[in-house]
Amino acid sequence: MKLPKQLQRIEEYLAERFPVEKMNYASMVKKKEVPVHRLSWGYYMGGLALFFFMVQVVTGLMLLFYYQPTVSDAHASVEYITNHVPGGALVRNIHSWASSLMIASVMVHLLTAFAMKAFSKPREITWVTGVALLGITFAFGFTGYLLPWHQIAVNATKIGLQTVEEVGQYLPGQMTAWPAAIKEIIQGEASVGQATLSRFFALHVIILPLGILATLGIHLLSVQLHGMSQGIDGQPKRLEKFFPTFFLKDLRVWGVAFMALFVLGLCLPFESLFSYPLFEPFNPKGSTPDGIKPEWYFFWVYYPLELLPLWVIMLGSALLGGVLVGTPWIFRNTSRRTLVILAIAAGAYLVVMTLFGEQIYHLFKG
Amino acid sequence: MSNEVQIMSAPLYLNRNLTLSLRWAGGEGIKIKSKIMIKMAVIVLGLGMGGAAHVQAHPEFQQHIVKSTGRPVNCALCHTHADGPEGTAPGQIGHLTLAQQAELGRARAAFEPNAKPNSPILNAFGNHIINSIGKKKFLEARLAPGQLPGLLPKESDLDADGIPDATELAMGTHPLIKSDGNPWLLFKAGFLSNLPQILLALAATVLGLWGLGHLLRGFAAAAHAEEEAEEAQE
Repeated sequence: MKLPKQLQRIEEYLAERFPVEKMNYASMVKKKEVPVHRLSWGYYMGGLALFFFMVQVVTGLMLLFYYQPTVSDAHASVEYITNHVPGGALVRNIHSWASSLMIASVMVHLLTAFAMKAFSKPREITWVTGVALLGITFAFGFTGYLLPWHQIAVNATKIGLQTVEEVGQYLPGQMTAWPAAIKEIIQGEASVGQATLSRFFALHVIILPLGILATLGIHLLSVQLHGMSQGIDGQPKRLEKFFPTFFLKDLRVWGVAFMALFVLGLCLPFESLFSYPLFEPFNPKGSTPDGIKPEWYFFWVYYPLELLPLWVIMLGSALLGGVLVGTPWIFRNTSRRTLVILAIAAGAYLVVMTLFGEQIYHLFKG
Repeated sequence: MSNEVQIMSAPLYLNRNLTLSLRWAGGEGIKIKSKIMIKMAVIVLGLGMGGAAHVQAHPEFQQHIVKSTGRPVNCALCHTHADGPEGTAPGQIGHLTLAQQAELGRARAAFEPNAKPNSPILNAFGNHIINSIGKKKFLEARLAPGQLPGLLPKESDLDADGIPDATELAMGTHPLIKSDGNPWLLFKAGFLSNLPQILLALAATVLGLWGLGHLLRGFAAAAHAEEEAEEAQE
């Protein structure tokens, strides 16, 4: 195929995904309608993830005024925020809870969008940017985990980076050295130290936010241009106006989420879910406390990693990544019924590994 | 007070300010003021006493808590340093000044309750235990570590998190860290103490949404009216 023809096809593909004639207030807001059916609750999950992201931005900016990204002061600055800054404990606690809730809502959003076949033509780009947003959200979690520079933060990051290096043994030829090089690039020095903290801080507060804003922009534009997907086989009960009916309902969901987050942030310190030695300042010469593990949203891959050979997890992860990105084309002709069953199975796996991963690990490892 | 000591006589009382006296046979004595030598002596003695691992002062209590609650606690529950009192780091015996050594001596002699000990190797909770029950009863409790929480005053709550210190000790959470505690108890205590703020936030959220709802409906109605007027004109 000649180049002009290729370019023409790309142009046609993009024109169908981003129709210029629909880029106006009337199409994107006034005339937009949302189907009402038994799975309508799924339409609120994306908005909920967006709400938690906005909370993260606001609370993150507040924390930025006091946080010191140096190995000598990071932990002390976090302690200062918690114990001496007025409202600091609340802001920090809301930031911790909202990060978990954002990741949870992004995961549920992905599963519901999958079950509702919200990836079918012309919504492929909406889906792919959604998968990218999931990856960025996980990266936010991983980089933010190190910043308080306490025992669990540094030791869990070391384990995570060590796993990257171990991938090298399964790669052929010169590629064997690549994971170690990648680890060193991320780490910035021989071990997790100041360079790592600086890099993770830069990623967490500048690079990833820029990345998420750009991706989110394309994602939301695509959602508004194409409207909500039908969601179910057959006709929905009725259609409701996006503005103001659905938008107001969305705001009410945000109100409930805000209250839940506020009560959690005020009454339940996120750290109370762990034992206190994990939150002592990291001391390279001191003993490592028991119970070092990643955040709960990595349990679905962490416990299998502990139980199975690394190559199995590598293969599984590569397959999962490929399937996630390729979903609009792989499941193009799959019925919604089958997709719902697959989404329930995936959701059940995530819940079981998150809640009972440790017990399953002990069951097999003794 | 003389600050000349023999290394072997009292390794637990060595500190960075002490002076070592070495005497050449038939010659004049020399004094070597050296942190390094003292630290080396402590390390050598420490290794001789039981290897490089940190030494726990009263491991019975820690072992009991870990076994009964499943929570991994460390020496920082009662001690200043997370690795226990033996060593040369701040908060450990090898790092004490002469004045602190004297405090330590007084605290170690507080066999009866209410002696107000201020041991520099113990944190506020460790000192609270010795003050509440006395060193004698504390040492006796080593035989039945599970009974220690029952011996402590019921009303004391050093970190003011709403959970009494005795309950925190029994549950393996830290009585001096406000954010550490049984999650349900912490939530209950936090909810009750913050009820006015929660009710105010609820009122603000409900009223805000109510007002916003009316505003948006107003915009939509205005836009619709404008549209109808335009259609009528056409």
